[in-house]
Amino acid sequence: MNPSRTPDSLSRTLAGWQVVAPRDPQFRTHVRARLEAQAVAPPWTVYARRYAAAVAGALALAVVFGALTGHERARARVVADSERLATAYVEGLDARAMQLP
Amino acid sequence: MKNFLITLGVVLLACAAAFGVSYLVGADPAMRAAAREGDAMLWLRAEFRPDAAQFAAIKQLHDDYSIACSRHCAAILAARERKAPAGEVAALEKVCVDAMSAHFRRVAALMPPGQGARYLGIVLPRVAGYSHQGAPNVRVTP
Repeated sequence: MNPSRTPDSLSRTLAGWQVVAPRDPQFRTHVRARLEAQAVAPPWTVYARRYAAAVAGALALAVVFGALTGHERARARVVADSERLATAYVEGLDARAMQLP
Repeated sequence: MKNFLITLGVVLLACAAAFGVSYLVGADPAMRAAAREGDAMLWLRAEFRPDAAQFAAIKQLHDDYSIACSRHCAAILAARERKAPAGEVAALEKVCVDAMSAHFRRVAALMPPGQGARYLGIVLPRVAGYSHQGAPNVRVTP
């Protein structure tokens, strides 16, 4: 046994030992942030069930909006095609529109 | 956040699918074919839905009229070429307009009920609204 390390000297050392750790005021925040970052997100089906009303509402709105827009665009295209062809039809029979080659 | 983005994606997909289905359902395939081919007779068929007999009769009328139209065209072009007086060209054009309007009325008479008036409502304003602004084109007269 080392004579300099007797139980008495150890007790004295321990009695006089003080740990001075710097305080981190953001310690709790950092810990919480780390925990949240590591948390596993629930599967989408669970998420969708949890927010069922909002998800169903958004889906319904999207379908109605898409359907109305699609129908409107289709009708606009039919009208534009018809206008263009009507003009071509009349001009095809209009001798005034004929030009010298 | 990840689930929110997935939800957003699903919503956008649903919107796009609804748009596509509605666009396809709302489109008129016959009109699209006519536009793609640039075929005015297909347009006539798609727009006014004559039955086969009516369409054949209309087509015959058009074929017959194209001979008269060629005569008018030749007369107008000849007058323009020899720098005929404006009055003479105008008179020839009036003959053309009168013949064309009469032809359109004959075609309208062969259309299904109700479609004839609609046909005349589409073609006659285009005859009246003609302006001498260059070669025939597919611009829509307002």
